Amino acid sequence: MRYAKRLDFTGTLDKQEWYSPSEGLYDQATKDLIRNQDKAELVIVVDRAYNCADPSQAHLVVDHINLTGDNPLVGPNDNAVGPRFPVVNNIYLCSADLIDQEETWSIGNPLGKLPTGIAAGVKAGVRLDDQEWQTVKGLGADFYCYNLVQCMILAAHRGLPVVGIALPEGAQLDEQMMIALVR
Amino acid sequence: MVSLDGAKHGRTAQEAKDTLQSLTDLRPVAAVVLGSGVDLLEGLQDAVSISFKDLFGISPQVEGHSGKVTIGVLDYEGVKKPVAVFRGRFHLYEGHPWQAVTLAASCVVACGIPNMILTNAAGGLNLDFNVGDLMVLTGYRDHLSPEWRQKGLVGAVMQEPTDCKNALTEKLIELGQTLHQKDKGFRALRTGVYAGLLGPSYETMAEVEMLRRLKADAVGMSTVPELLTCKGTQTQACAVSVITNVWKPDEAMGGHEEVLEASKAASKRLDKLFREAIITL
Repeated sequence: MRYAKRLDFTGTLDKQEWYSPSEGLYDQATKDLIRNQDKAELVIVVDRAYNCADPSQAHLVVDHINLTGDNPLVGPNDNAVGPRFPVVNNIYLCSADLIDQEETWSIGNPLGKLPTGIAAGVKAGVRLDDQEWQTVKGLGADFYCYNLVQCMILAAHRGLPVVGIALPEGAQLDEQMMIALVR
Repeated sequence: MVSLDGAKHGRTAQEAKDTLQSLTDLRPVAAVVLGSGVDLLEGLQDAVSISFKDLFGISPQVEGHSGKVTIGVLDYEGVKKPVAVFRGRFHLYEGHPWQAVTLAASCVVACGIPNMILTNAAGGLNLDFNVGDLMVLTGYRDHLSPEWRQKGLVGAVMQEPTDCKNALTEKLIELGQTLHQKDKGFRALRTGVYAGLLGPSYETMAEVEMLRRLKADAVGMSTVPELLTCKGTQTQACAVSVITNVWKPDEAMGGHEEVLEASKAASKRLDKLFREAIITL
């Protein structure tokens, strides 16, 4: 079993098992949690997703586009945590990476069955109008989120892979998915 | 190198100008800013140098940026021209405010230096590019102005690239063509659009694809603030990117060491190009 830092920005998951910031948005405490040097081997982030083509179910994030205009690593670098210029490619764990996990074999790896997509990270609270969304979609995004990108960059800096789950409004993680993520 | 008390000098463009002009009577025809690992225009005559710390009150914190200004006379093929060389720059990703990041360019403008040539290390987005190519900027994408930090980048990606061609740009392109015709070992110059991003993390593959769709040919974390600072002033600015890697599918991305290595290899050609250009100014 791999120890993971589990972050929920939807406010819908069990607060005993998931860290959920009070405002539902990435904050300093989130940053500290990810940067904290502990035995974690990966970070699991569940973030609210907007404009998913299929709003009825969760999506597994395979890559992102940072349109927040910011980066959590701006400022002096702590070399003890990670390099000044982290390479952030291939940091998302996708279905192929997850399918062989012993912890989930008995329930058929529900994560591997999720549709996948590219998340655009936008400024928290900004709702894109149609024209803006068409532009962002035309640049390769499948949906947009507020918190996932910052978490992912921090995790990459720390050298941790990320499982990113984008959850549309109204959609919920089913029980088997929850078991897989908690395991 | 002249040593001054950094706490008492610099910090504003006007103060930096006064400090620089107190060091020498030379009045440069051009200021050259050298980015990560780019090392050239050595051996200036009657040279005086001052650290960024003493001139501006702050120092760059990135490997490959020494943080020093040298003013001296370039003597090339019998022609002598005074020049100012800024070795290093300040970046937003270091946590410096916009005012600090544009301080060197503001100082150049305040000094009335008529030409500013910027260099940077950049990742190649254009698949025709090769590591070590030199790209003269004909346009740029601004993704790091304070406005975008405040609002997010959706507005920025909805804009077209900004044209930055001018007489200095044309001069570099022409000289590059001439040097290539004379010596095939001097690679043909590339031209294209530079996307200035905040950093410090490198781009994801999805971001690389986005930038290609936005017509960018190279991507880096600098230069745009300096170009914006010179815009509309008496200082004509141009910029050259050293292509230190090319983003290709299924190829691993190198780190900052790779950037520095590729910059060093291209510096020799860049040195020749700049010497040829500066003596005509």
